[in-house]
Amino acid sequence: MATPVAPAGGARNGAGPEWGGFEENIQGGGSAVIDMENMDDTSGSSFEDMGELHQRLREEEVDADAAAAEEEDGEFLGMKGFKGQLSRQVADQMWQAGKRQASRAFSLYANIDILRPYFDVEPAQVRSRLLESMIPIKMVNFPQKIAGELYGPLMLVFTLVAILLHGMKTSDTIIREGTLMGTAIGTCFGYWLGVSSFIYFLAYLCNAQITMLQMLALLGYGLFGHCIVLFITYNIHLHALFYLFWLLVGGLSTLRMVAVLVSRTVGPTQRLLLCGTLATLHMLFLLYLHFAYHKVVEGILDTLEGPNIPPIQRVPRDIPAALPAARLPTTVLNATARAVAVTLQSH
Amino acid sequence: MDLEIIILSEVNQAENDKYLLHKPTDNEKTYVFLPGESQGQGSLVGCRLWGHTESDTIEDEPPLLEELGISFDHIWQKTLTGLHPLKVADGSIMNETDLAGPMVFCLAFGATLLLAGKIQFGYVYGISAIGCLGMFCLLNLMSMTGVSFGCAASVLGYCLLPMILLSSFAVIFSLQGMVGIILTAGIIGWCSFSASKIFISALAMEGQQLLVSYPCALLYGVFALISVF
Repeated sequence: MATPVAPAGGARNGAGPEWGGFEENIQGGGSAVIDMENMDDTSGSSFEDMGELHQRLREEEVDADAAAAEEEDGEFLGMKGFKGQLSRQVADQMWQAGKRQASRAFSLYANIDILRPYFDVEPAQVRSRLLESMIPIKMVNFPQKIAGELYGPLMLVFTLVAILLHGMKTSDTIIREGTLMGTAIGTCFGYWLGVSSFIYFLAYLCNAQITMLQMLALLGYGLFGHCIVLFITYNIHLHALFYLFWLLVGGLSTLRMVAVLVSRTVGPTQRLLLCGTLATLHMLFLLYLHFAYHKVVEGILDTLEGPNIPPIQRVPRDIPAALPAARLPTTVLNATARAVAVTLQSH
Repeated sequence: MDLEIIILSEVNQAENDKYLLHKPTDNEKTYVFLPGESQGQGSLVGCRLWGHTESDTIEDEPPLLEELGISFDHIWQKTLTGLHPLKVADGSIMNETDLAGPMVFCLAFGATLLLAGKIQFGYVYGISAIGCLGMFCLLNLMSMTGVSFGCAASVLGYCLLPMILLSSFAVIFSLQGMVGIILTAGIIGWCSFSASKIFISALAMEGQQLLVSYPCALLYGVFALISVF
């Protein structure tokens, strides 16, 4: 018999959400049978009744508490009566106002949707902008258009991070205080955001027509040249090749950025200041990136291919090892120095 | 935890076991009477300690795996979708967030790196967490409908499977020659193509597959960097 127990269900509904599922399952399953009427237990204090009784008592208690709370004077921080009511209302209002302000600020600043329009691009657009970033335009008489998007620059910065990581790994760079990943990300993002802000500040001083977003986009696309140069020269370790690429590719992307800025600035001094700063920083950054992680490789190679150094090497006192042994009187040299001198002489 | 009492009804013993489940309220003492098995009144036999979630009979309970939300068939389907780059992805399979598979794959990746002598579980989990966060932000900005973090993490995790092939190859052979470079590039392309294909079909972003696959390629490239060096 699958009669659902009405009193049990009724009593349990007040207890909480866990009891609702029980009732549903009874109707669906048919195997959970509670047939209290047919129970032989006639002691009068059946479990169902006990449970029901307890539940009812508890509900009454809760109701009594609630009623008592309402009937009370409504103490608020020890102040009874009218004062308590007033202070509670004031506190409530302050809380509401504070909450409204906080939620407004949060929705304004933490809303990632502000950046949504800057990521609305097509692959063809990104491709054409990448190629255009290497082509300087000569027309500086009227302001040149800058695409205000952030997808391309962000991807280029991440690409630079990846190339830098690859370079660090191939050159066996060891960073003692920090991680390789952290250093690479810090360097690239620091350059992109920091130099953009600095040039934007200078542009503000020089009265140039450029917004922060445009500056970020311009500098971001300018890193395309850096990516190409570093990708090639981290794998082919030739200094001459690097200098050639540095001037050619780095120079082209710098010229492009300079041309855009010149077209948006009035006055020779201002143009010189702004463009000179940008060109210097951009070219020097490429130089730094190449040599910071390349030097380690060179250092290791020199050590491995240098002259044979004896395993135990004791430095002689006050006697420079570079001097030929014949010049020094033999009585001055001690045994160690003599041994070193002999070794040096043999080479 | 409350004490849940099971009482066998004397009336319908012949049929399937019928239980009365009674949840006593607090401070209530209850006794269990089991006919035929009890040792007299007052004995506590057949009592089960249960939490509040289970309130049904044993037969009506859903299977454990179903309750936990782990469906092997779905896991297998998603794995196949991640592995087969040319198979058309069904956008709806990524609606349910399943992180069990990706966790296992990350663990397997770390284990294969361990076989090659690199103890870098921390890097694997750290990079995957940060990478998932980055992809989540980017996809939310680029798509009309948003994507949940769990969905992004699940897709990226399932498409990590070819990378495990690369790292297991690295156990025996070194990946620093020309063969290694070509293999690495191929595997990165495979992983990012699969991931972008699933994202595109789930978020209806036709025409932007290259834009989605490039950041995925960068992320998987970092994993490949760990495998190779």
